Amino acid sequence: MKKRVFAGAVALALGGAPAFALDDLTLQLKWVTQAQFAGYYVALENGYYEEEGLDVTIKPGGPDIAPTQVIAGGGADVTVEWMPAALAAREKGLPLVNIAQPFKSSGMMLTCRKDAGVATTDDFKGKTLGVWFFGNEFPFLSWMSQLGIPTEGGSDGVEVLKQGFNVDPILQGQAACISTMTYNEYWQVIDAGLSADDLVVFKYEDQGVATLEDGLYVLEDKLGDPGEVDKLVRFVRASMKGWKYAEDNPDEAALIVLDYDETGAQTEMHQKRMMGEIAKLTAGSNGALVPADFQRTVDTLLAGGSDPVITADPGDSAWTHAVTDAALN
Amino acid sequence: MNRILPILVVLAAILALWYAAVVPMNAGWTIAQAQRAGHELTFLDVVADTMSQDRPRLPAPHQVAAELKKTVLDTKVTSKRSLVFHGWITLQSTLWGFALGTTVGIGMAVSIVYSKTANMSLMPWAIISQTIPIVAIAPMIIVVLATLGVEGRTVPKAIISAYLCFFPVLVSMVKGLRSPGAMQIDLMKTYSANAGQTFWKLRLPASVPYLFTSLKVGIAAALVGTIVGELPTGAIQGLGARILIGDQFGNPLMIWSALIAAACLAGALVSIVAVLQSLALQRMGYAR
Amino acid sequence: MTLVLAALVLWMAAWLLNTRIAGSSLASSYIGRVAVPVVFGLSVLAIWELVVRGLNVPQVILPAPTIIAETFAAETGTLWIDFRQTALKGAISGYVIGCLAAFVVALAIDRSTFLRRGLLPIGNFVAALPIVGTAPILVNWFGFDWQSKAAVVVVMVFFPILVNTVQGLADTAAMQRDLMRTYSASYWQTLLKLRLPAAMPFVFNGLKIATTLALIGAIVAEYFGSPTRGMGFRISTSVGTLELAMVWSEIAVAALAGTLFYGAVTLVERWVTFWHPSQR
Repeated sequence: MKKRVFAGAVALALGGAPAFALDDLTLQLKWVTQAQFAGYYVALENGYYEEEGLDVTIKPGGPDIAPTQVIAGGGADVTVEWMPAALAAREKGLPLVNIAQPFKSSGMMLTCRKDAGVATTDDFKGKTLGVWFFGNEFPFLSWMSQLGIPTEGGSDGVEVLKQGFNVDPILQGQAACISTMTYNEYWQVIDAGLSADDLVVFKYEDQGVATLEDGLYVLEDKLGDPGEVDKLVRFVRASMKGWKYAEDNPDEAALIVLDYDETGAQTEMHQKRMMGEIAKLTAGSNGALVPADFQRTVDTLLAGGSDPVITADPGDSAWTHAVTDAALN
Repeated sequence: MNRILPILVVLAAILALWYAAVVPMNAGWTIAQAQRAGHELTFLDVVADTMSQDRPRLPAPHQVAAELKKTVLDTKVTSKRSLVFHGWITLQSTLWGFALGTTVGIGMAVSIVYSKTANMSLMPWAIISQTIPIVAIAPMIIVVLATLGVEGRTVPKAIISAYLCFFPVLVSMVKGLRSPGAMQIDLMKTYSANAGQTFWKLRLPASVPYLFTSLKVGIAAALVGTIVGELPTGAIQGLGARILIGDQFGNPLMIWSALIAAACLAGALVSIVAVLQSLALQRMGYAR
Repeated sequence: MTLVLAALVLWMAAWLLNTRIAGSSLASSYIGRVAVPVVFGLSVLAIWELVVRGLNVPQVILPAPTIIAETFAAETGTLWIDFRQTALKGAISGYVIGCLAAFVVALAIDRSTFLRRGLLPIGNFVAALPIVGTAPILVNWFGFDWQSKAAVVVVMVFFPILVNTVQGLADTAAMQRDLMRTYSASYWQTLLKLRLPAAMPFVFNGLKIATTLALIGAIVAEYFGSPTRGMGFRISTSVGTLELAMVWSEIAVAALAGTLFYGAVTLVERWVTFWHPSQR
């Protein structure tokens, strides 16, 4: 916190930015405060937002908070969301546009126990798999549909469980496989006492069904207003600076996140390790969306079996380079 | 002594049962881990391990006590890691919700007693309102309030808790305000008391015993409402948020200690209302 | 804006209509007693519709009742599957198990003064606890299917019924019990002919409280893990994909089921405790 004040004072002393006319901007996160969002917290703590003349408020999310709904209600200017959910909301008539994509790779995977008899994707049949819902189930459903495995149970299909917020189903043998993120739940399974040798992981990246994760989304009408676009440009520039700093100084970034965690429940060990894994996912992104990745996400989602999340290719209007082009040059 | 002893015996029995249950609940994991590692375990080894696991299915009472000591006594109360801090957050919303719920409940009760139209149209819907799963509405309340420009989580949580709290108050107050018999009301009429006087001097005082009984239920309901509001909606602070985060990060001790803290809070709140009840009833001359 | 004004006018008209009904001879008839709340409910729905349309509230925040009704009609199949999973399997089985268990324990406690003194204060204390918080623990113990939901419901309904039943069993006057003794009635005869009937108003009070708790408990528990069906499952996943009309359809099912359940218990109560002053 001190650093923020200090940075503001420096800005004042240098007579640079108009320090008392900061533009307000609210960012809605997809989940609770954790290293997954380190870049934004670093940018806040290190005063990058202030240097850009922004007063940024970061709102943590939670299991029942749909970031898309918050932005629709005007509760946030920008939201961190996964692309499948954002595109689903777009089809529901909420014109979300991707303005930046700090996460290059997907961290999602299916983690299975060897002693449950899973070694390859052929072994899924007849097993129980844990999946997250709330808009995160679509990559899984596309994958299963590409493998030709029905998700209604039975000996030919898989029984799908709506996994809660923890990894207990795999520990207690209630499910053969569960959804995990490389940076979070996988390590909880390891922490609980299963070793990496006991487990088989299927990364969505490797299976060719990866969809874009944490991106920044705004409502379309904002992009028509040059003043708002300028704000977004400054926001993205500062955020990416935060992300690159976090990648280079993962331990420090983790501690910053810990400072902002209001539950007081996160631990240093978890956050440092998470930050290390997150850095692998943000590596290789300068913030600009790669159109080929977008197309792969759309194709994966359109292949989503009988009940696809999106029924039509949303086309290039679902993303823009306008903000990142201005922010990065 | 005659009253305390049975309670202590029952509590001791619960504690003993709890300890006894810890072994079978957690042994499966201990044995499976030993098999993977290729160890042989004696029965005593298993018992010792079940009492000290990091993520037990059922933590032993002393583990919960240690976690409580750590987060209540050994942590500064202003720290985010202190349960006292989170209990305070929950308490604030609970009290706001309780105040709001009680006001709405009493207000509705008065209008129901005095207006036949209100009685006939509101009462059935008040019952139906309690069958609506409040958890489903909670996130929407937060989003809608954010749209209206209400920031923070205290107000939405208070509304959710008021939603659960108003009903018992309403039901009891309707009963209480109607409790004076026809004879008493006639007596007021012979005094040529007007409607206001009948209300303030007869109906309201007559309803006080009913009010306090319902307040005890109401404050417990308000606490449940606050915790439900904190639980799945990702409230960042409060006991409900601790339960959620404890679940997410596989930390059962955190869940259990938050539950015990919530239990103590509920007990304290209900006792305070009970004390107020006996004070008020004594002063008003209801022999208790 | 005109729509919002129309809503206001409609509100006043409906209230006026209700006042007329309540003041007329219809008020004490069955028709009158049903008509007034129905008019009230319909006017609330109409106002909701008008305000949502008048203020252009986005459908992803609050859908209009007509849209919810359309979704309801189109998705009856899914709603029925969810209802069967959550209400019939989870809530009802938990309710029955919890009520029976509480009833039996209450009878056992009642035989021993010592147990009653020890358990009743603790039961009272637990009845006031936020039991919903145990949902994640019970889902962990009993797995993902309806069994864990029933377990949450059992714990939630157990204590209100226990406390009410014990209280009810103590509700006979010394004179009545003495009379039974002069008839040289055994413990069981006194229980069956005097004390149980006398306890029924209290028991039903507990049973009614428990009906609303049951469905809510089953739904909350589904937030912590479930198979891919169930009312709580559908509500939480539909919010994620902004299918708010589906969410409200499930809420409508819950309200409908809860009301019918409550109504059914009230009917049984009237039939069992016909002698009690409150039923006359």
